[in-house]
Amino acid sequence: MSRLYDTVEPSVVDEEMLQKAVEEQGPKDEAGRLAKAEGIDFAEVTQLRLDFKNILKIDNMWCFTCLTKLQLDNNIIERIEGLDVLVNLTWLDLSFNNIEVIEGLDKLTKLTDLTLYNNRIARIENMDSLVDLHVLSIGNNDLKDLENLTYLRRFKNCKTLNLNGNPFCELEDYKVFVLAYLPHIDYLDYRLVDEASKHSAYEKYQISIEEMLHDERAAQRKLDEQLAKEKEFETHKKAYVEKLNGPYMFDSMYQDDIEGNKLSAMPGVDELLVVYRESFSKICQQIFEFGLIEHEKRVGEIDEFWKAINEAKTENKNMGMVKVNDFIDYKKKLFLDLLQLGEQGQSIAEQRFAEYNDKVAILQDALMGYEMQLVDQLEETVKDFERNMADMVSGFLENVQALISQCRDLENMHHERMMEIAIITLEKVLKNELDDDIPDELRELCVDKDTIVNAVQTSHDLHLLKIDNREDDIVTRINQFMSNMIRDVHDNEEVKRNRQRVSEINNLIDHLRDEIDNLDLQGLNY
Amino acid sequence: MSSEIEQEIIEGEEDVKDQDEENGENDEDENEELAEDIEALKKEMAKIVVEAPTIDVDNSETYDLENFSKSYKEISPKEKLILSFAENFRRQYVHLYRDRKPLFLNPLNECGVEKFVCTTIRPIQLPYQSLYDWDGCGEFVADYLNFVPLEPPTDLPKRLKSPTTVLDEQKGNCFEYSTLLCSFLIGAGYDAYVVNGYATRETCLMDETREICPLMRKKEEKTSSQETKQQRKYAVRPPKDLRSKYEMKQHKRKEDEEATEAEKRRQEEDNRIAELEKPPKDPLFGLRIHSWVLVLANKREVPESFFIEPFTGIAHPVNSVNYLGIESVWNHHNYWVNMQDCSEGVKRLKYDLGDPTLWEYMYPSNEKPQLQIPDDIMNEFDDDDEEEEEIEKHLDMPPSWVDPIRVEEKDFQLRCPQGKKTLLYKKAKLDKYAPYLHRDGLVSRLSVYDDYELNDLLQVKEYYENRIDKLYCRVHNHQNGWVTEQFYEGRQRNLKEHRYKANAPVHETDRVMVFYSQARVDGLLERREKMIDKSTQEMTEQFVDRTDFLYFRSVTFGKRPKKFGPADGKSNPKRPIHKMVEKFKRNEALPANEDMAEVVYNIQEEKITVTYHTENSKISASTREFIKPPNSDEKGATLIMSPEMHTTFQVEPQSKQKKQVEVYEQMVELIASEDASDQKARESEDEVEEILNDRTKEEATSELDISVYDTSRNEKAKKHRKELERLAEEEKMRRQEMELDYLAPFLAQIGDPEQISRQQAYKLKEDCLADLKQRLIDKANLIQARFEKETQELQKKQQWYQQNQVSMQKDDEAEYLAYCGEAMFRIHILELRLNRHKEMAPHKYMALESKIRTDPRLSEYF
Repeated sequence: MSRLYDTVEPSVVDEEMLQKAVEEQGPKDEAGRLAKAEGIDFAEVTQLRLDFKNILKIDNMWCFTCLTKLQLDNNIIERIEGLDVLVNLTWLDLSFNNIEVIEGLDKLTKLTDLTLYNNRIARIENMDSLVDLHVLSIGNNDLKDLENLTYLRRFKNCKTLNLNGNPFCELEDYKVFVLAYLPHIDYLDYRLVDEASKHSAYEKYQISIEEMLHDERAAQRKLDEQLAKEKEFETHKKAYVEKLNGPYMFDSMYQDDIEGNKLSAMPGVDELLVVYRESFSKICQQIFEFGLIEHEKRVGEIDEFWKAINEAKTENKNMGMVKVNDFIDYKKKLFLDLLQLGEQGQSIAEQRFAEYNDKVAILQDALMGYEMQLVDQLEETVKDFERNMADMVSGFLENVQALISQCRDLENMHHERMMEIAIITLEKVLKNELDDDIPDELRELCVDKDTIVNAVQTSHDLHLLKIDNREDDIVTRINQFMSNMIRDVHDNEEVKRNRQRVSEINNLIDHLRDEIDNLDLQGLNY
Repeated sequence: MSSEIEQEIIEGEEDVKDQDEENGENDEDENEELAEDIEALKKEMAKIVVEAPTIDVDNSETYDLENFSKSYKEISPKEKLILSFAENFRRQYVHLYRDRKPLFLNPLNECGVEKFVCTTIRPIQLPYQSLYDWDGCGEFVADYLNFVPLEPPTDLPKRLKSPTTVLDEQKGNCFEYSTLLCSFLIGAGYDAYVVNGYATRETCLMDETREICPLMRKKEEKTSSQETKQQRKYAVRPPKDLRSKYEMKQHKRKEDEEATEAEKRRQEEDNRIAELEKPPKDPLFGLRIHSWVLVLANKREVPESFFIEPFTGIAHPVNSVNYLGIESVWNHHNYWVNMQDCSEGVKRLKYDLGDPTLWEYMYPSNEKPQLQIPDDIMNEFDDDDEEEEEIEKHLDMPPSWVDPIRVEEKDFQLRCPQGKKTLLYKKAKLDKYAPYLHRDGLVSRLSVYDDYELNDLLQVKEYYENRIDKLYCRVHNHQNGWVTEQFYEGRQRNLKEHRYKANAPVHETDRVMVFYSQARVDGLLERREKMIDKSTQEMTEQFVDRTDFLYFRSVTFGKRPKKFGPADGKSNPKRPIHKMVEKFKRNEALPANEDMAEVVYNIQEEKITVTYHTENSKISASTREFIKPPNSDEKGATLIMSPEMHTTFQVEPQSKQKKQVEVYEQMVELIASEDASDQKARESEDEVEEILNDRTKEEATSELDISVYDTSRNEKAKKHRKELERLAEEEKMRRQEMELDYLAPFLAQIGDPEQISRQQAYKLKEDCLADLKQRLIDKANLIQARFEKETQELQKKQQWYQQNQVSMQKDDEAEYLAYCGEAMFRIHILELRLNRHKEMAPHKYMALESKIRTDPRLSEYF
């Protein structure tokens, strides 16, 4: 926007400007004085106004990580940039600038209020991440294309929209189009939209809207399906049995197996393959189901363990709190009494002090006692848990390994039969007794015994390798999981918690002792 | 009385002997014999009827036979048959069981006609909802009727009045009570029977002074089933028990001993009380005849059979000790005689009426209750039974001779005779009143005493209904002087319960108010005021479900300062607030260290103390204390804070210190909230006063709320209807007037002829017009005369004024001026009227002329 002040120097967002703005907009009066004395930390600022500063480029904002409201209106900004750090931003005002393209808003996922009023924007785009947008103002820009507005359909929460002053507002069916394609808008151009006009608008564009809705729904459905599939995959992964429910593993075995594919052209191999595939898949399915069940059991076990731990902790905490609160009540009463005693009761006062100190010591002992109790209890429980988990894991592994060795047996059997068929085929080829035509690749292999035997062997080795890999995969993953979990439990529950509690108790006891000392001084003075 | 029966028995025996002799003859002869017997029986019965009045003259009340319908006064042929059957049965019974008491079969009704008891029961269902259940019926019968004891108590009554008469008179003996109650119950679908048996003296005389009042019986507390703790794999071991086991054992043994001793003492006490309460010995024990109602299981989902005592409407189990024996039972279909041994009371009796060895039935019928055989054996018999289905024709009971029972709506509402009833119980007295009978809506009052003679009043509980101020219960505890009032929802400030000391001054004393917290904007649940000592008072409030998580506020007041100076007469100075405490629930959105749990505003010492919530993993809470800066009371003053004003204890030793700015802002906030709380406290005080004022007003004018649908009582509706009627009347009269003929008087003058001749028509017209003219002139003259009179008077007054102007007083002058004004006004009006009249007169004339012209009777001539 051209201004009267064209000749004024464009300014830059620098330290000085920010400091001044923050101070001006910070707490006032008494609080302001204190704030200045202490110094304001940019990382704690939540609202900032930098308007009418003739800013040309947004920069230097990396300190303000807590910012929720930012106003940069009435400047001469040409590009939206430098706002990536401000992830907590909910209100952004960039009106009355010179912006031409909407960009740079990708990190601002929490944004609810955005105004780009009075800029030079020609197209609505690049706002995909602003899922929570509630209020949008793009009036007085250069928007010409009504179809472009359908981009705003995705903002289901956006109830207020201002498009006034754009070129397409002159079009006849502007209002009707907007009402029809953006049904969730309640306030258009600062006016409440009434149901009747919405309905009539909808009817006008019914056909195309229906199409659009249909497409959207299909897309949504696909997305949902995909999400569901992904979730399922995740759960399978957690049970370490992903991709085992079906012939996936079998297929993956043969995927990279060039020789195997070539050899499958041999007569009689087809049926063999089919049968092999089936039995292999069956075993895989067994592993899959078993894995899921075991996973459930493990999850249940962990839940119970945590439940017990939490219960113990809360019980202990309650007991501790009771003791602390009792003591605090006693302390309050004592202090009141002491204050009222005044000068006369010097000796009584001293007696009371001694009493107090004794009680403090008792409290400390009690609290520490509880903590030790808890440590004991938890230690035992954790040990139990460890043992049980270890048992479970080993049980699981044994079974899985047994099943996998069944797979290996199958493979071995298959290999033997393949070998037989290979030799027979070879002989047939050498004797030219084969009835059907065999593909070239196979013919290459059937040159002599060694090549074909090698081919069969390589195929077999490859398969075995795959199976072994899978087994190792499962084993390592579960073991890792186990060790991680146990280590976490130890660290957090036992060590950290204990340390925290002990330091808390010490802190409290020190504070209580200090209090009586302070009071002591006052008492004696009077 | 017994001689009569003996006579009958002898005669009956003779008849039986006759029968025996002729046993060998054919069936036809036997039938003839039977017919003869019936005749003989009839004669004997006629004899008895003649003789009865001589003996009964003391007790019986004679009724005007005109009031009863035909069925009351006559015996229909079917009834005669039934009666003869009954007589036959009775004779056989007497012959077989000589030492059993006589059966209650066919007493006289109020018209002196013998009727069989089964037909006196008239099953009916009244259109009142409470009579659909057995307890409602029992209560209604118990309340509605006044009871008359059997005279003599060991004999069956001679008369059994019909239920309609019993309801009309609102009194009856136990048999009549039972018959009425049975009629209602059978009408509602229960399997009910009237029982004729023996009971204790207390039951027969409706003496409940040894029963605990039913309202006082504690409801059985449902024992909540404890959830069995899930057997968990990981149970954390409880902390080591470091107590000495030996010591514990010793301790336990001592406790056990004490417990047994206490138990023994308690038992002795119970026995002693039981002894005291035992009724004195009854010489007629086991002989007092009584009638009650038996309800068998299976119909209307009754799980178990039980008795209903008709005098009280209370249910008793089948093995109740109140009842000592059963002679017979009957319902509207059949009559059964009890064949079981009653030496131990009714405990051992079985109520399988289909079993002839236990209960001897009178009429064989297809509707008799089936013998209760276990299901598997029944299945065996099923196939056989299906083939042999011969439906035998049996004699069934004729329909009842009683008119359909009716109870008027207002009688039903009035319930007790005259609307009130007093019942005495053990250490208690219950008064029942009909709703709307008392001006303040009292429906029942239960007085509980400490002694058996009902002298030492402990507590009075009053129940109200239909009060506009929604009060429904008031309990006055005489021992500690506390009164508790309970209200329904819908009051102005949602007051639910109000407890206060009865004789204390109204304001500023101990009281408790409970509110309906869901209906209140501030979620207030309870407010308590208490005097801690002479100079301090405390008011505590508890809240529920508030958005700011406040759940408790307590305000401590000091003594009111003495005011020196002129009596203001305005509102009382408020008591100064010394301390306020507010407690909050945990707000999960804030971290625990910033979520205030308790704030204490110590106004006397100008301190504010804040205690925060404890975090999940901690056992202690952070605190913060502020000393208020001196100028905090001035509005708008900038508060200066120095670091000494703030002390804090943080649980987390490594947590970073709050900045001064933040601390300062918090202090400002706290001071603001202190003001707000102060205001709230004052508002609460005001509210309490308002509530008390409302209550005193309501008590003074206790009004009852009449439902819009209650047409008989609704005064407003009545007035409205009367108004409508009056309007309708007026409308009619007006319409009548309109139809008056304007020519009538003139026609009358010429003698009202049928046909009007031309001359007559002309004459009529002239007369009519002349009359109108005359009237108009008269009217004009009248107005004129008035006008002149007024002007003359005014002139006179003006002259008088002018003459006496100098010597007149202010008041007189004012009077004169006022008079002048009024007179001018009147003159003006008269002038207007005159002018208008002069204008309208010719119009009226023309109008009448045209009317005459168009009148159908005269139009042919014009």
